[in-house]
Amino acid sequence: MYELKAVEKKFPGVHALKSVDFSISRGEIVGLVGENGAGKSTLMKVIYGAYQPDGGEMLIDGKPVRFGGPRDAMERGIGMVFQEQSLITNLSVMENIFLGYEDQFSRFGVVNWKAMAKAARKQLAKVKLDIDPRTITSSLSFAQRQLVELAKVLTLEERVQGHLVVLLDEPTSVLAEEEVKLLFKLVRELTTRASFIFVSHRMDEVMELSDRIYVMKDGQVVDVVSRGAATPEAIQHKMVGRHVDKEYYREQRQKPYDATRPLVELSGVDLPGRVHDISLTLHAGEVLCLVGTEGSGREAILRTIYGMRTPTKGTLKIKGETVSRLTARGAVERGVGYVPRERKIEGIVAGMNVYENMTLSQMPHYARMGWLDVADERALARKWIGKLAIKASSEYADCGNLSGGNQQKVVLAKWRSGGSDIMLLDHPTRGLDIGAKEDVYDMIREMCDDGVGVVLVADTLEEAIGLSHTIVVIKDGEIQKRFDCVPGSKPTLYDLLHYMI
Amino acid sequence: MDIQRLKPHFPWITLLVLVTIVGIADPSFLKPANLLSLAGDIVPLFIMALGLTFAIYIGGIDLSAQSMANMITVVASVYLAPLGIWVAGLCILAGFTLGTLSGYLTTRMYVPSFISTLAVGGICFSVAQWLSGNRALNMDATQRNETFGWMIGRTGVVPHELFIAIGLLAICLLIERRTVLGRALKAVGAGELAAAASGLNVARYKILAFAISGGLAAVAGLLFSVKLSGGAPTIANGFLLPAIVAVLVGGTPLTGGVGGVLNTAIGTLIVAVIRASMLYFGIAATQQQMVFGLVLIAAIALTIDRSKLRTVK
Repeated sequence: MYELKAVEKKFPGVHALKSVDFSISRGEIVGLVGENGAGKSTLMKVIYGAYQPDGGEMLIDGKPVRFGGPRDAMERGIGMVFQEQSLITNLSVMENIFLGYEDQFSRFGVVNWKAMAKAARKQLAKVKLDIDPRTITSSLSFAQRQLVELAKVLTLEERVQGHLVVLLDEPTSVLAEEEVKLLFKLVRELTTRASFIFVSHRMDEVMELSDRIYVMKDGQVVDVVSRGAATPEAIQHKMVGRHVDKEYYREQRQKPYDATRPLVELSGVDLPGRVHDISLTLHAGEVLCLVGTEGSGREAILRTIYGMRTPTKGTLKIKGETVSRLTARGAVERGVGYVPRERKIEGIVAGMNVYENMTLSQMPHYARMGWLDVADERALARKWIGKLAIKASSEYADCGNLSGGNQQKVVLAKWRSGGSDIMLLDHPTRGLDIGAKEDVYDMIREMCDDGVGVVLVADTLEEAIGLSHTIVVIKDGEIQKRFDCVPGSKPTLYDLLHYMI
Repeated sequence: MDIQRLKPHFPWITLLVLVTIVGIADPSFLKPANLLSLAGDIVPLFIMALGLTFAIYIGGIDLSAQSMANMITVVASVYLAPLGIWVAGLCILAGFTLGTLSGYLTTRMYVPSFISTLAVGGICFSVAQWLSGNRALNMDATQRNETFGWMIGRTGVVPHELFIAIGLLAICLLIERRTVLGRALKAVGAGELAAAASGLNVARYKILAFAISGGLAAVAGLLFSVKLSGGAPTIANGFLLPAIVAVLVGGTPLTGGVGGVLNTAIGTLIVAVIRASMLYFGIAATQQQMVFGLVLIAAIALTIDRSKLRTVK
């Protein structure tokens, strides 16, 4: 019913979709899996009209179509339930449901709220949500908002001729198990009205819900698996393109850490919000991985060690010294380096060149009385461009124009060249291709050999398990469990998931 | 030719084109003596624009610059007699302090800079009215010539203001290109969050940018009052718009991070040529701000980096 043929999408420096074929028929639930950066989001954006493909064609009921934007797609019955929820929290549920389509309830610009409430109730009944449509959205639970979002997309049913296609982007990532079951039940019931495209990181869920699964890797569909035709391991293998083996995460290079040299000690730390009673110790040469769902408090803990957040309770020791009023500047002076998740926003300064980025955190080392020694800076940049094989035309290249992997290398070089020996890595491999990921893994092992302690928030659970000496599982801002990860007896995915959700 | 690669060269190309057009319309415009005196006349405006560049470079704005200059003309006129040459110190200190206040309000109280500087500008204006008794003041001509006469004389055909302008430009250029401060300001303008995540004390650098802006607005005011041998609370009105135009047509966008003080020098020359050409083409003084308003809108539309803006309010 809906079909993509040989669809192409290119961005500067990235070939995001390579001749992708995709189809979904009436009432079908199709799963879409792939690693981060495999092209899932790009494909979704093409489907719901946010991106225009550079090549290939899009067919609905065999007829070619072209979308100028999401609204065009919606007119043809294609709607998206967003992962980062798209509801406006200070509006009521019904205003959100009919946002942009209030005309049907208004006369001379005045909205008939009663009629809207009645229509909204009808939509909410479709998703079995029994709430007053006048409720302000911010007072709903996350799961309820997700259902409102779904109800909003289902309004297309009345507006559009023909069958619907609904995209669900990571709908379960923050739901409790019960809520996931309810959602799946609902989705199955709704297949009389719509087809679903389901994107999730959780292989078990994708396999449970989907009739067919598209496996993506490096911008291509590498396989289409029918229900029950493959094991989770086999699909995983296709996603990564090889066995997720010890070699990949450099486990053979994992050496025991130095338990006599604690670098960072948190004891009983509370943060504003819900992070509560965090105690952990990072040692020299250790990779300590914080594992948990989105919003569990991992990033807040990293930022506390970096002095960007202040504990309300508890103590923070860096290299044995208790610090009470830590600032980012103070953390940097104590040897802490921070590789943020949002590389393009917090990691590098686009518009500044390689040497300017590398010395940004350590300008005092390259300046006398406030005057910069640019020749010194450039020498440093050239050295690290060579050392890390950074692909940049020269130290004058604008970091904004480098590829993701090379940007990440610049960020890592910034801290390593300044002698940071406590590294906080937040999703350091996010959006990198496999080669660049392996470079980062190598660098993490090299840092450990040099006695650096690393606190890691990994992109995937496999990565967390593969890289770490120690895993600390966090849920709702509290530590649930600590695992020792000695090569050969590492915890499994399922061990971790059990404590995460 | 790629428009993006051409973009950094727009300012000086514009300048050249304008000079050529006016030169063809009126060949006497191109006489060196005329050009030099034109450049000399624009110096107070240039110094103000130079300061504004720092505020705009970090992605902020300083709307207090004009009121600051107004106030300083009054301060200079009132305190020249008792303080002599030290009045210059007082003026610069006042500008720097009030700039610091704007910066403090912006960074610590989270008041957007266009409001905080507008408010501080209001304070300056009021101080000027109060201090002057709301009338025009005159400096004692002999004392002015003894103390500050060196600022406004001529060596041959070259007005002394030009030396001051070039000196300040050189200092600012060195700060921008060769100091930790300049690098930090660039980082704050181009990627404030990344600068903060690199451990820079972003708030301090932003405060400094506003302080420099205030300090240079004060220098502009001082020079202006010396030129006119007096001061009044509204004497520098009509400076703000052309000064902002100078920064923006020079190529420092409102979003900050690119451009810089050298760009502002070119931008100021463009403003000078536009001003002179309005005389040649018979546009009345009362209509000049209209032209600057239009040029400002065009300059913003052309230079602003839309990828940095998520919403505009």
